[in-house]
Amino acid sequence: MADRSHIVKSYEQELGQLRSMMAQMGGIVENQVALALSAIADRNEEAADAAARQDPEVDQLEREVEGLSIRLLALRSPMAGDLREIVAALKITGDLERIGDYASSIARRSLRIRMPENQISLSGLRSMGRLVQENLRRSIDAITQQDSNRAMEVWHSDRAVDEYYTALFRELVTYMMEDARNIRACTELLFIAKNLERIGDHATNIAERVFYAVTGDNLPSLRPRGGPASALTVTETMQEPDVR
Amino acid sequence: MTSGTLQGMTQDSMMTKTDPQAAKIPEVALAVRNLNFYYGENHALHDISVDFQARRVTAMIGPSGCGKSTLLRIFNRMYDLYPGQRATGEVMFDGRNILDHDLDLNILRARVGMVFQKPTPFPMSIYDNIAFGVRLHEKLNKADMDARVQDVLTRVALWNEVRDRLNAPASGLSGGQQQRLCIARSIATRPEVLLLDEPTSALDPISTARIEELLDELKEEFTIAIVTHNMQQAARCADQVAFFYMGRLIEVDSADRMFTNPKQQQTQDYITGRFG
Repeated sequence: MADRSHIVKSYEQELGQLRSMMAQMGGIVENQVALALSAIADRNEEAADAAARQDPEVDQLEREVEGLSIRLLALRSPMAGDLREIVAALKITGDLERIGDYASSIARRSLRIRMPENQISLSGLRSMGRLVQENLRRSIDAITQQDSNRAMEVWHSDRAVDEYYTALFRELVTYMMEDARNIRACTELLFIAKNLERIGDHATNIAERVFYAVTGDNLPSLRPRGGPASALTVTETMQEPDVR
Repeated sequence: MTSGTLQGMTQDSMMTKTDPQAAKIPEVALAVRNLNFYYGENHALHDISVDFQARRVTAMIGPSGCGKSTLLRIFNRMYDLYPGQRATGEVMFDGRNILDHDLDLNILRARVGMVFQKPTPFPMSIYDNIAFGVRLHEKLNKADMDARVQDVLTRVALWNEVRDRLNAPASGLSGGQQQRLCIARSIATRPEVLLLDEPTSALDPISTARIEELLDELKEEFTIAIVTHNMQQAARCADQVAFFYMGRLIEVDSADRMFTNPKQQQTQDYITGRFG
């Protein structure tokens, strides 16, 4: 956070270790999401298995980041930028772990989908996946580069993720209403869309925490939102999805 | 609350009294404006302007030689004891500039108490350590003096430890007890401002915690200015923190903000240990 090195070298080394663990965890989670999206798009079972297999490693890193953060808080009594960075790391590691869980969930669900031929388009889901992946990549870049501008970009982009989710919800509900044989596949796809939307939320959480760690200021508590009303005509049978 | 008023605090009226209830304490107890201080040719403080809020703890932090103790010692004109030292500017306290030459220093020092780094009990009994200063400013009968001694020793949480040996020499107390006695001695003359120059640096953690707890209670009544090298202590005790560097006030803000989000890079570097 601060430009200059700490007088106590071992403290500086431990802060460096924390940053390195965060970067490692971010890299694995980013890869998990990429594998999960590949599992859906390409019906790639191997990718789905690989995404799920990385979960224990992410969980282990989360425990290590927590342990090191608590150690730094207890032994170094960090102040100002150091304090903000360590507290942010403690929270970001929870966000990354959840993103990993959602990626595993998406990968597992992708294997269960028996897609009725030529009836359901996955293009909306793919586009949403690409945007979520891009937001996650930018939020992880924001962590490693301590870049508040990058964090701000992610924060603004969450609105588009919400709008994709709202549109997808409508599309999938429409498929189900058209043909009851679509219900099973579309339900899985709805869960996947919801999981992607949650990954987007956690990427935005990370962006907010990085912004605070870097600047000491909080982003507004209300995020820019893609409200359901702007993207969806609500009918009596079609409830608005909750994208909060 | 105190034994004199600075409005009339001159040699001619050194024992002027005010009604304690009538003297309304302003929100700013000490207003420092464009203060410069010189040790002979050495310009030690440069154009300092800062407010010390009433009934709040203000901590002064900064590396050795930054001027924080110098500022503290200006508030009770300690520098007058040394030739060649002089101050310019203003330190407004109760409507008077502390730096004015015609100010009565005895009254000033009764209203602005000071506690030093090492406990400095007088070579006399515990009781007399308290009573000595009070006798200089007030004429109390035995019962009132006993009550004053008990009151201040109770407030510094020392009464139960010394009530059976009030006539024993103060030098027999532990370091932490001696420092609490010195604080009791300072508040016995009912000052408005209490200056503490690294008051716990020679104490163990338990004695330190007791003093910090004491400050928390005393600030309901006194304006407290504390110089400390212990950043955690400043964070724990202070409402407001001022960071000094090379005789200049770099930043002053609430303790919350200073230790989580200081505005100046120099402050950030100092409190995170990246200085020098």
